[in-house]
Amino acid sequence: MKPAAFEYFRPRSVDEALSLLAEHDGDAKPLAGGQSLIPAMNFRLATPSVLVDLNGIPELGYIKDDADGLRIGGMTRQRQIERSPLISSKAPLMAETMPHIAHVAIRNRGTIGGSVAHADPAAELPALMVALNAELEISSTQGKRSVPASEFFLGLFTTAVQPGELLTEIRIPLAAERSGSAFLEISRRHGDFALVGVVAVVRLDAQGLCADARIALLSVGDRPMLAEQAIAVLKGQRPSAELIRAAADAAAGGDIDPSSDIHASARYRRQLANVLTRRVLERAFERARSA
Amino acid sequence: MILNGTFTFNGPRAKVWELLQDPAVLAKALPGTKSLTKVGENSYEGVMKVSVGPMSAAEFAVNVELKDQVPPERFVMHVDGKGGVGFTKGTATIELLEIKDQAGPVTVMNYSSDMQIGGKIAAVGQRLLESVGKMMTKQALDALNAELKARL
Repeated sequence: MKPAAFEYFRPRSVDEALSLLAEHDGDAKPLAGGQSLIPAMNFRLATPSVLVDLNGIPELGYIKDDADGLRIGGMTRQRQIERSPLISSKAPLMAETMPHIAHVAIRNRGTIGGSVAHADPAAELPALMVALNAELEISSTQGKRSVPASEFFLGLFTTAVQPGELLTEIRIPLAAERSGSAFLEISRRHGDFALVGVVAVVRLDAQGLCADARIALLSVGDRPMLAEQAIAVLKGQRPSAELIRAAADAAAGGDIDPSSDIHASARYRRQLANVLTRRVLERAFERARSA
Repeated sequence: MILNGTFTFNGPRAKVWELLQDPAVLAKALPGTKSLTKVGENSYEGVMKVSVGPMSAAEFAVNVELKDQVPPERFVMHVDGKGGVGFTKGTATIELLEIKDQAGPVTVMNYSSDMQIGGKIAAVGQRLLESVGKMMTKQALDALNAELKARL
């Protein structure tokens, strides 16, 4: 199928892109890797009247590290993140998650900013952002602001990014000492949207108690779900098989709101969420102990 | 798609019933409603524009018929919608229960709906239909509750 007619701009700088977005107010859509927007346009589910193509802006593609952590440009390709030695040494959880996103061909084009700003509740990157406590930098002609991932995702395909704004940078805080993380998902075929996915980061204190935990689940609600009840179960406790089981029960029973579709019923999704949360926590605590 | 749930309105049942029968109120509360007019004693016609985040609006011509009315307790809605990207057809049963609360009467609504959704929207967006349904239901009920509050 073919998209409806639209106007096309290819700016050469972030400033130029932001002025174009401001000029066309709510009618313009930024085009990143085009792995979600273009199919939606071809199906005519999305019919933006103006496209601002970000692919001619090299300044938006980078992975840098500084004292606070990693800075990743919004237009950095997912495949580039997957293969980056800097990412695998400084943010191993990202490196572990990337291969689960769709297929190589899609990751070659798809960008981190595109996936995060699209906010598909079944996508891996939004949940990863929540688990990593990432800061998301949003730019407009008015300036820049930074939003923590836990406040960025507002609902189905809805984020804190307003019309005229652009997600320009993703900041990943440095992994703390004695911390461990893990990612697992289940999909019918590799590369399909996951039925359920779980991503967790845990930190132990010097006594081996759980000092902090962040668990995010995907595909079980209208946005990436932070498992607050499960986190409350873990905090301050010594990780044990029973504790992890209790946290998994809390996550699957209270923290999520799964839907039924042709691929899986809500009940089956809860069951998967329970099992995956348990496995992810076991793995993450194991890694934290050996860190 | 089957959607069941309960919602609590902060007001007496007779008032909630009144709101649910008023096309002007429903047009404001139902997300994306462009028009809703009464065409028969218990039937309405309207146009709804459904948009989800950045996904463009899909326009549906909607026919709603209210049946089996037992004021102010229960009614059944028959919905029939057609649009460029698909169709929807189904029923929703709505029951209202008044509970005397210390702060005043509250009305508990039990709803259960069974909607068939077909066409392109179902083929492409199947995995998201229920989330969208839940989201729109919540928006509509919150808006109705706000309107109820304004009127009390």
